[in-house]
Amino acid sequence: MSAPGVRAGFQLLGSTRRLLHKLDKCAVFRNYTGSSALNQNAAPALPAGSSEEIVLPRKKKWDKIAVLQALASTVNRDPTAAHYMFQDDPYLFPKTSAEFKLYSLSQESGRNTAKYIINTYPKYFQKDYAEPHIPCLMPEAFEPQINDISEDALNERIQLRQVKAAVDIFDQLIQGGTTVSLETTNKLLDLLCFYGDRDPVRDDQPEHKEADEVEAVQEDFQKRQKGRLRKASDLIGVVWRENNNAERIFNLMPEKNEHSFCSLIRGMVKYGAYTKAFSMYADLLNNRMTADVHTFNALLAAAPNTREKYNEKWELIVETLNQMSEQKVQPNLLTFNAVLKSLRKCGSLARTQSLQTLNEMKALGIEPSLATFDHLLGIFYKAASSVRGPTDMIFEVLDEIEGKSFVARDPDDVYFFSNAMRVCLDLKDVELAYRLHQLLGEGENWKLLGDAFQQSVFYGRFFNLLCMMEHIDMVMKWYKDLIPSLYYPNSQGMMDLLQALDTDSRLDLIPQIWKDIKQLGHTNKADLVEEVLALMARDKQSPEVQASFADCSLAVKSVYEVGDRGRTALEWTASALGNITFLLLRAGRMQEAWGILQLFKENNRIPGEALLAEFLECAKERRDNDLAIDLVKLAASFSLTTTAKFASRVKEEFLLSEEQKKSLEELDVLSSDSSGSDSDSDSE
Amino acid sequence: MYRRIILLATRNRSGISRIAEHSINITDQQETKRISVSTCPNRQRMLYNKGVCTPNKRPFSTSTAISKENEESSAPKTGVTEAKVKEKEPKKSGKENLLDLLSAMKIDVTTKKKFQALKSQKSKEQPRVHPESMESATSMFQKATTEQQAQKESLSPELVAAASAVASSMPLKKSQTESELLQQLRKHESDTEVHKKGETNNIGNIIADMKVGKHPNARSPNRPANQIRFDDDGRGYTHDRGVVNEFDAVRRRKSLFTGKRLNIFPSTTDTTETEPKEVSVPSLWDIELAGHIAAVIKHLPRNGFEEMIQWTKDGKLWQYPINNEAGLEEESDVPFHEHVFLDSHLEDFPKQGPVRHFMELVINGLSKNPYLTVKQKMEHIEWFREYFQQKEEVLKESEAY
Repeated sequence: MSAPGVRAGFQLLGSTRRLLHKLDKCAVFRNYTGSSALNQNAAPALPAGSSEEIVLPRKKKWDKIAVLQALASTVNRDPTAAHYMFQDDPYLFPKTSAEFKLYSLSQESGRNTAKYIINTYPKYFQKDYAEPHIPCLMPEAFEPQINDISEDALNERIQLRQVKAAVDIFDQLIQGGTTVSLETTNKLLDLLCFYGDRDPVRDDQPEHKEADEVEAVQEDFQKRQKGRLRKASDLIGVVWRENNNAERIFNLMPEKNEHSFCSLIRGMVKYGAYTKAFSMYADLLNNRMTADVHTFNALLAAAPNTREKYNEKWELIVETLNQMSEQKVQPNLLTFNAVLKSLRKCGSLARTQSLQTLNEMKALGIEPSLATFDHLLGIFYKAASSVRGPTDMIFEVLDEIEGKSFVARDPDDVYFFSNAMRVCLDLKDVELAYRLHQLLGEGENWKLLGDAFQQSVFYGRFFNLLCMMEHIDMVMKWYKDLIPSLYYPNSQGMMDLLQALDTDSRLDLIPQIWKDIKQLGHTNKADLVEEVLALMARDKQSPEVQASFADCSLAVKSVYEVGDRGRTALEWTASALGNITFLLLRAGRMQEAWGILQLFKENNRIPGEALLAEFLECAKERRDNDLAIDLVKLAASFSLTTTAKFASRVKEEFLLSEEQKKSLEELDVLSSDSSGSDSDSDSE
Repeated sequence: MYRRIILLATRNRSGISRIAEHSINITDQQETKRISVSTCPNRQRMLYNKGVCTPNKRPFSTSTAISKENEESSAPKTGVTEAKVKEKEPKKSGKENLLDLLSAMKIDVTTKKKFQALKSQKSKEQPRVHPESMESATSMFQKATTEQQAQKESLSPELVAAASAVASSMPLKKSQTESELLQQLRKHESDTEVHKKGETNNIGNIIADMKVGKHPNARSPNRPANQIRFDDDGRGYTHDRGVVNEFDAVRRRKSLFTGKRLNIFPSTTDTTETEPKEVSVPSLWDIELAGHIAAVIKHLPRNGFEEMIQWTKDGKLWQYPINNEAGLEEESDVPFHEHVFLDSHLEDFPKQGPVRHFMELVINGLSKNPYLTVKQKMEHIEWFREYFQQKEEVLKESEAY
């Protein structure tokens, strides 16, 4: 009974709505109950009319790249392909991390070269074909247009960031008696302080640093050390010199404002003159001025470098913060990140103070960024000093940030993921690593993974942890997913994988892994290659596996024979040769095994007793008398102590012809002659 | 691409107020906004408007449906207007000529036929009315129209007729006047044609330049598919957490943000007065900090679309059209009515007479032209204003001004 009534009510409601819609196009229909007309009609038939409210969808904001962004989001990563930037030239698909770095840098350097040519000879590139005009394709002006000595010329040099030229003009202006305006002088001071009183390197100019970087790419750990060294040397390279141009110009200034002081302080902190920065800050206070928030950030970052003891460092930080508060300077995210970063250098104090700092942020309504959490993790998980009790900081941090999408607000944001993964690896908590990896997938978080180096560190640690803790099937799943599209494992990574295979007794996968090792260019790592051989040779496998192992061992053998792309070939070791022989023997490939055996002699290596025993066993199975005799001869030629034992075994176990017996006895005599009497006496 | 706005001036029964009632008519290609508008304060104007509404196929792609409708709407009043026309007949040569022309237009539907009829009618009638003064004008007109046909009817015949009417109202240099007028009209027309052709070329270029990246098996289970969110209201996608979340619950003992704080800074719920101080010009330090953060998260494009996004940001790539106003950089903030309602620019012209009629035809044509910018349209009108001002004396002499 009620159903038709309700339906009628709906219809009534609908028609009223349409009517209203026509009557009043501009109105927002959120608040329907406010309309009296509707209430009259709808109320008796449908008391719950408000449940069917029309909610106007929000207006979508489109910009010029919205469609492309939508399309881009539909393209997923191809786990089997190299990075998109290499797509144009399949010949240049990188197969190792070194190649990746080399090829991507060469692409970039090609661009830079083109830019350099265009900017150096702008007169040849004046024709503008593009309609509408495309500014980024036109040569940039690097040469100043104003050549007289004036403030405009100075401003132009500052604009073009020509530090030395700007200082020259300034000096000439001062000598000529012209006063330069405060604003321009401040700009000049900014320039001098930012670049530490030397000309900046132009983007398109060939940089020596990059060349170093290419060479530096070898192994993760090596590279990390090198990277650190390089950074340190960079800092040493540009230092704040006593009475440099910035200080000189600052002292020349007839009137100084806060900006001048702040710029100088920031420059001093940037180039390592920490104590000077604090005395300059004192000068600023004496002039009854206040610093801005960026200057305080710089001072906070510099604070731990000016004091020796942990508590003194912290006191200086607190004092600086208090002064900020007194001067009514509003702190920002970078302020607290600087505090936390400085706290990392404050040892035992750091743990409690960092949490209080975090709560201060919370109280001020400042949303922490990834760098904040990175510093927290750095404080709570110090690499060496894990003497303190275990901490759940990583869990708390992950609980806090899980499911959030971050944007970069601090240059240090990009270190979070790799450091957090290090903590996961230290804790050997694979669940945690999965959570972290999932966080990486949220929103645009992947952008915060950092450059290629950070990325390879992150995935290297992740993969290491997986190999350690995860079942081999999962490891292989991740292996296929990450390599080679995201990560090129180093030889240590491959070693971990081999160990994981060993742990879960899936050694049959080794031939497949060997192909990847070859592809990744790790065939020159002797320990890795030997590990492969040793794992294959250690146990007896089923015949099919043995056959594939034998093929693989021959492939490995080729690595020893020919160098990989000009590199010197690996040096044969006895164990490598022995393992290959074992593998060939087990696959029943006597002839090839015999061939390998000859290599011992050539490379001055001595085969093991077990190998020869195995060989003899095979010969026995095949009733190959000649082979057995040859084997004894070989043993004799190496002057092995066990030659006599082999000889007697051969005599007993093989049905030898007279001639063969004779030759064997000759050998016996020979060996007993050569190797001394003790072995003879043992065997007889 | 371009907004096509077609003005249909039809008679409004109230006759005085200006009402713009527009209905949106989606044709097979693009959105056509049809605006019926009446701006006629008197009958005379209405007549002109009617003249304007007759179909002129070439330069403005008015559909025949529209012209027909227009035809119908004006049909009932034809009798009345013709009566009026008859009354006015013995007055002035130029106007009369014009009216004849107009009444003749109403009879035939298709442009070509009408045009022929018009021509023959004119050549028949004109000698009768003013045998001596109209001779040269008529021949001129014929010449112009033949020229016209050679140029594939590049100018609408009505416009030419009106131009010649203006010319004929001047006692001297009739042929010159007319050719000057026509030349100016044609100038923009050729521009328009070029634009039309260019437009199709441009589309071809865009498509040819597009790179389509193929990723046939680019699916992996671990890559998030939602790196770009479409909804800006923050709702929509929430990540499925599953087992991991239960794991959390075991671990979670307290939040990070419980405990003491440093108590150095005052709580900032009310201290927002320091904000306006920050609006100064960014210093080198600020620029470089922003640049540093941007450089830190700068990644190489991961697929073809991201590369195209990069190019779009650089300005190297034609913008991907997200509405039908793409490529309107110059005109992006010019409202459509400035394109369509050009009457306000006719205030310096005489309120009536052949010049007025001519100019109304001109602005009508302009209002339908999507290829010119408003500035160009203004310049076009300005040219005529100066032209007629120069000839003011002559026009006054002939009582046409």
